[in-house]
Amino acid sequence: MRLTLLLFENVGELTKKYANLPERYIKRSMEQVYWKTPNAIQYLPRTVQRKKFRFTTNRPWTYQFLQQNERGTHRKKVFVEPILEWSIFRGDRVQVLVGRDKGKQGIVSRVIQERNWVLVQGLNCHMRFTGKDKDFPGVAVLSEAPLLVTNQVSLVDPSDLLPTKIEWRFTEEGERVRVSERTGRIIPMPLMADETHDYKSKSAYKESPKDTVESELTKITFSPTLRTFEMDVMNEMEKKEENVTNVADVPS
Amino acid sequence: MVLTMYLSRLVLPLKWTRAISTSVVNNGKRNFRKFLLHNKRGSRSFKEERKKLKGNEPTDVPVYHYGVRPTGYHDAKGNFIAVPEMIPELMVPDLTDFKLKPYVSYRVPDVVQSEFTAQDLFDAVYSRKIVEDFKNNKLDSNGNPTEPSEEEALTPEEAKERARRTGSDIFEKYSEDLEETN
Repeated sequence: MRLTLLLFENVGELTKKYANLPERYIKRSMEQVYWKTPNAIQYLPRTVQRKKFRFTTNRPWTYQFLQQNERGTHRKKVFVEPILEWSIFRGDRVQVLVGRDKGKQGIVSRVIQERNWVLVQGLNCHMRFTGKDKDFPGVAVLSEAPLLVTNQVSLVDPSDLLPTKIEWRFTEEGERVRVSERTGRIIPMPLMADETHDYKSKSAYKESPKDTVESELTKITFSPTLRTFEMDVMNEMEKKEENVTNVADVPS
Repeated sequence: MVLTMYLSRLVLPLKWTRAISTSVVNNGKRNFRKFLLHNKRGSRSFKEERKKLKGNEPTDVPVYHYGVRPTGYHDAKGNFIAVPEMIPELMVPDLTDFKLKPYVSYRVPDVVQSEFTAQDLFDAVYSRKIVEDFKNNKLDSNGNPTEPSEEEALTPEEAKERARRTGSDIFEKYSEDLEETN
């Protein structure tokens, strides 16, 4: 059990939040159990499963991830700097510091926390050709390359549109915000950060017929009575007691 | 010369000697693969025949019911007697005009409710009447109400008996119950 927790801990919080999938599902789809001890009293519950995964731009519950982490494939370990306070979110304006697009600013389209990666819209791109055939040269696709959050990308101060270092501080109301160290301007959280697969923002969610509405949810219909749950149910079903059975008389 | 021949035979190789194990029994191999009686060992008919041969006594290869509880019992001869009352009856309430749905909308803010304790239940059932009686001087010298409500009029025995009727969730130890009834 400790092993699976370790594997699952590698999946970033932002990844899980964006997916909006149940955590059990992500864990289950990721794990590759090769052998399990039989379900018998003489065995301790032990599993032989894959421990090291290579995280990529493909999400951990996808088939492409499984292909990249196929049984038997052993990739070299990628050393990822542990970041205590993650500061760059989807929708943030960011300046690229390395590569061909050095100095250009763009908006973050994807965040891959497991590798400290960030994909900026339209920047740090390269061409690749998909659907190559014998005769067909393939369709050209512009795809972004990931950039490291630590030293390849920097948040932009909205007041002067220049890159800054930021600090997490608290406002007078008690809200935790990012503050630019140079100017002291608060960098607000982008709206796209709230986005998930199901909705753009919680207030913009379109309610379906199977969703309970707020007005119904917050209604208080409980009236305290001196009855147990079973008595309540019996009352409602209008079943009167025929025999009063004493608990002591029923043989255990 | 005969003696030396015998002596040479007495020198046994090390592996044939017996030794005393001083380590704990648990240190030995525990994950033995024997005695793993899987459900697929023998068909159901085989298991039932085997059971009959043994005089309907529990065998080493019992019929596995996969956790399904029986809706009857076996008599002395081994015949199964079905009891219709044992068949579970699902009590499903009428859900017409029921507004709560299986899912909750994302637009809903977090609902925070404190725990509903026994104190809260007492306050809801008894406290109002007690306060009114006190204000209207309807309590006697001991503090008991002069016009008790149904719940207030219960004697301890009555209350206990009522609480232990079918539908109660107050379970006491069986031995304690016996002492009280005797």
